[in-house]
Amino acid sequence: MRHFLSCVSIAVLLGATSSFADDPRTLVVSEWGYTPKESQEYLYKPFELENNVKVVIETGNNADRLNKMKIRGGVDVMFITDAFSQQGIDDGVFAKIDPKLLPNLADIYDVAKAPQGAEWGPGYTVGRYGIIYDTAKVKPITSWKDLWRPDLKGLVAVPGFTTTTGPVTVVVAGDRVGVDAFSNPDAAFKSLAELKPNIRKTYLSGSELTNLFSTGEVTVAAVQDFAVPAIMKAIPTAKWAPLDEGAFLVFNTLNIGAKSQNKELAHAFINYRLSPDVQKKFATVGDGTVNKKVSLTPEETKTMAYGPEEIAKLRKTDFAKIIKAKSNWSGRWDEVFGQ
Amino acid sequence: MKRQLGRSLPLLLVLPGTLVVLAFLVLPVLGTFSGTIGPAGNRLALYETFFANSNNMRIVLRTIRIALIATVISLVFGFVAASVIVRTNGFLRQILLVASVFPLLTGAIVRSFAWMVILGRNGIINSTLMSLGVIDQPLTLLFTEGSLMIGLVYLFTPLAILSLMGVLESIDESVLDASASLGATPFGVFRQVTLPLAIPGLIVGGVLVFTGSLAAFATARLLGGESQKILPALLHEKAMVSFDWDAANTIAVVMVALTVVVIVAAQYTARRFNPVAG
Repeated sequence: MRHFLSCVSIAVLLGATSSFADDPRTLVVSEWGYTPKESQEYLYKPFELENNVKVVIETGNNADRLNKMKIRGGVDVMFITDAFSQQGIDDGVFAKIDPKLLPNLADIYDVAKAPQGAEWGPGYTVGRYGIIYDTAKVKPITSWKDLWRPDLKGLVAVPGFTTTTGPVTVVVAGDRVGVDAFSNPDAAFKSLAELKPNIRKTYLSGSELTNLFSTGEVTVAAVQDFAVPAIMKAIPTAKWAPLDEGAFLVFNTLNIGAKSQNKELAHAFINYRLSPDVQKKFATVGDGTVNKKVSLTPEETKTMAYGPEEIAKLRKTDFAKIIKAKSNWSGRWDEVFGQ
Repeated sequence: MKRQLGRSLPLLLVLPGTLVVLAFLVLPVLGTFSGTIGPAGNRLALYETFFANSNNMRIVLRTIRIALIATVISLVFGFVAASVIVRTNGFLRQILLVASVFPLLTGAIVRSFAWMVILGRNGIINSTLMSLGVIDQPLTLLFTEGSLMIGLVYLFTPLAILSLMGVLESIDESVLDASASLGATPFGVFRQVTLPLAIPGLIVGGVLVFTGSLAAFATARLLGGESQKILPALLHEKAMVSFDWDAANTIAVVMVALTVVVIVAAQYTARRFNPVAG
């Protein structure tokens, strides 16, 4: 019995010490889960191997994840669009970034280095909010105003109000009638109400929209370009519309949780995502690159905004202003779409 | 000493379970409810704010209306199906029973998705009608109140069937024969004998279907559009998106209150129609 007990205790000690030596640190990353296969292959697995780290992923959409972080923290690095990271900054859930720990930041386009201020996370990819349509079923679209065309009755999808670009659609509606949605919401929402007969559904996620396209429920959608590769795969005749007024600029940012215990590792992760190698790989899933050292062929840049000139042409979205207008606009949106 | 322990033993054995239920069910729910009590002088402040918002009122009324209609339709279908099953015997009855209950084996989301395939613009119904030449443009069937209703009825009719089967089976054939022999028409037999005797099953089934429809988050999200937003979807939005916990707590209380009202009303109706039941 004693012999047996001593064998067991030695085995346990050996097991415990060996696992302590190899015990990898854990980095909790919060992201959308939209491209799981590619993210594992291009980003998480290489990072894990290089740094002896275990990456734990939490997925969901922007609003859900930001609110979970507000309530219980527990996230080291968060992928989030600038609409919501602005909110996160206002609510104090992010930690300040130390640029010294991000050597790759020097190679990033100036506009993307720190879109919300030097103390906060970089824009690791540039996205556009524009229109995609099925060329086989829809006559060419060249302007935001075309969404209101009568031949598109019941064929259009727009984002829901609680998404990143939902409120931007209100700005678009205002532009259509020549008003600033922030100072004249009445006119802007009147214009938006005129769009209602064309709208099949308001969607809350990229995957929901991809489904709507692939089942043929909609043939035109106002959408961010991250969803374009998946939609084009489902509908080969889909095309990103060249818009007279231009598409809107949306940054996806990387930020660090205020309560994170792994801030240094988090910085290393962000730096890794900004590296030319990783940036180039993610171009294949439609993530526009922001690293100057990455060069892509025109074929590869078909579905994204590429280069500082093209990025400069995009319309800036004032998300700080949108956040202030949100509670007012929310009620108006419900009046239009909620009945 | 041993006898005293013997008498309090049942109490002691039940205590751990009771404490767990108290700690993890009763207290958190009470916490949610107490969160909706306003400041002194205006205890109903949060409810006033909530119901003053026209969109919230619209959603509450819409939720009740949809749940009531789904309940009635499910009970009718369930009653018919249960009557048929009760009248069959042997292998056929087993098959019918399995066929009724089978949908319950798959999750609500899968079942809602099935209807998206059937009702879609390129779905089974539209393709069939178009190929038959009945229509030349696809009908808009999805993301309407109709599609949501279909989804809810499909989801909850099995529950109605199961609730009604037991009750219908226990109705003695001789009672029905006796009333017929006393001059009651078939419809009279149904209205004055079968229906009152089936009340307990109708109540159980009705409450299950109503409360299920009240809380059908996935079905509403998948089969309904933004004009079909119901309370659970609003609750999710307030809690997880707008971070408006006051409104979320209020909605939770409203949903529980609706459920209690329905149960009490159902019990009262039951006692009126069938003094033996309830």
